[in-house]
Amino acid sequence: MELYLPIAQMSVHWLVILGMGGSVGFLSGLFGIGGGFLLAPLLMFAGIPPGVAVATTTSQVSAATFSGVVTHWKRKTLDLKMGTLMLCGGLTGTATGVYIFRLLREMGQMEFGVAVSYVVLLGSVGSLMLAESVKTIRDIKAGRTSGGRKPGQHNWIHGLPFKMRFRRSRLYISIFPPLMFAFMVGVLSAIMGVGGGFIMVPVMIYLIKMPASMVPGTTLFQVLFVTATATILHSVDNYSVDLVLAALLIVGGVIGAQIGVRLGGRLRGEQMRFLLALLTLAVAARLLYSLVVTPHDVYSLTIGAA
Amino acid sequence: MKPRLAWLGFALAFLALVPAATAANLVSGLSQDQIEITSNYTGTDLVVFGAIESRGGESADSPRDVVVVVRGPDIDMNIRKKERVAGLWINRHEVTLFGMPGYYYLASSRPLGQIASPDVLARYQIGLSYLQAARYSSASPKEDRVYTEAAVREETKAKLYAAAEDGVEFLSYSLFRVRVPVPAGVPRGQYTAEVYLFQNGNVVSAQSTPLFVDQIGLERRLYGFAHRSPWVYGISVVLLALLLGWISSLVFQRR
Repeated sequence: MELYLPIAQMSVHWLVILGMGGSVGFLSGLFGIGGGFLLAPLLMFAGIPPGVAVATTTSQVSAATFSGVVTHWKRKTLDLKMGTLMLCGGLTGTATGVYIFRLLREMGQMEFGVAVSYVVLLGSVGSLMLAESVKTIRDIKAGRTSGGRKPGQHNWIHGLPFKMRFRRSRLYISIFPPLMFAFMVGVLSAIMGVGGGFIMVPVMIYLIKMPASMVPGTTLFQVLFVTATATILHSVDNYSVDLVLAALLIVGGVIGAQIGVRLGGRLRGEQMRFLLALLTLAVAARLLYSLVVTPHDVYSLTIGAA
Repeated sequence: MKPRLAWLGFALAFLALVPAATAANLVSGLSQDQIEITSNYTGTDLVVFGAIESRGGESADSPRDVVVVVRGPDIDMNIRKKERVAGLWINRHEVTLFGMPGYYYLASSRPLGQIASPDVLARYQIGLSYLQAARYSSASPKEDRVYTEAAVREETKAKLYAAAEDGVEFLSYSLFRVRVPVPAGVPRGQYTAEVYLFQNGNVVSAQSTPLFVDQIGLERRLYGFAHRSPWVYGISVVLLALLLGWISSLVFQRR
């Protein structure tokens, strides 16, 4: 049955959307990622206008993270103080991102801006992840153990001023790194529809040196509020959140994620990261191709005056 | 459909009684004067039908042609042109076309070139190549032409503009019918169905009938909601998302 999407103003078959939500949910369950960075490009490939794709994906990400936040809250693996601090940076970033998004839309460069952000971010994250996973796989084959990081080690981050104590994470660090990275992720969240967990998690483990057990809960907490805010701001600024599309994606995503989680246990960490890296690079390559290849028609049409 | 046909029959009977004072009388009607876009709307066919009653004798040697144009409400279009910059295709130039039809369908009984001269066709904006915006944001007529052609190409691709040069189906010497496809994605608003009767390269009779296309039901309410109170809409989407996420996590935990 074809469904009419009231905001995207187009008809789609509901199974196509459910299937997309399902497959992205499956991958997010499998790899333990939010999946926003895969969902928005997939929707664009399916012909959903980029603005609607990005804005609606943010609502899907908040739905997907909500149950995770509840679980971590109950298990007390959520550093509320750190989460709130990151939220301050994240919300400022989201507001800035939505504003940039509106500017891009008014300039007629929104599609281009979104695609370039994706190519740069997915390209670099994918390459780093690929290099890291290949190295780990080689090390394991050669029988070497990777040199673990020592928790007491200090780096440049610990020299920054305005330190604050985070009891639950057993940290005493400057407030700037969490604020700064959260701001950056907030901007990306608004422009790309991603939650940003795939940037925040490595930052918190390697740079801020938060205990690994606290990282997922705290990240999810921040992602939940940042994407929820992005959804609301996109609705207000760009009228681009499609409720019907969101509902379909959420339902599909949840079902897919459950299947993914069950299968995910069978893969080893570095193998998963290797596959995820390939997938990330494939999406980046596909988007780059669309920017480089000569278009069928160099003219494009937007309804409404600029 | 049935009552409409009855109406047509009535009109024809009425026509037969009226003495033919003008060169040709044109009567036309629509299968429906309101199209409603609902959640499972995938497009429908509108039928424009009509009859020509002409003065005897003359009609036999000079051919008569019927052209039907269905025009959607005027909308503004922003056309952008991509150019290659450092290997990447990026939008560089733009022209805004104010007052282009949001939908345009043309059906004629013969190829337009055989019916009338370009001057006549342009005057009535009959034919995709004669479409014009009411106003342009650019200053050069040459540029306007290029961007209008691009707009027509894009709208044709989206199936919102179309022309069928054999789209007028004659059921008898004087009775004709045109099927107008109205796809999903047509703009809402007032449409007009214009029927032109051509003889010797000129319009001898014309009739225009209004038609309304509207979104109804949930879609309409959601669209209106999203634009009228965007804050409440945005917050509702988030709450719905959280609710769906929470319910589904409960469902899967029990298993």
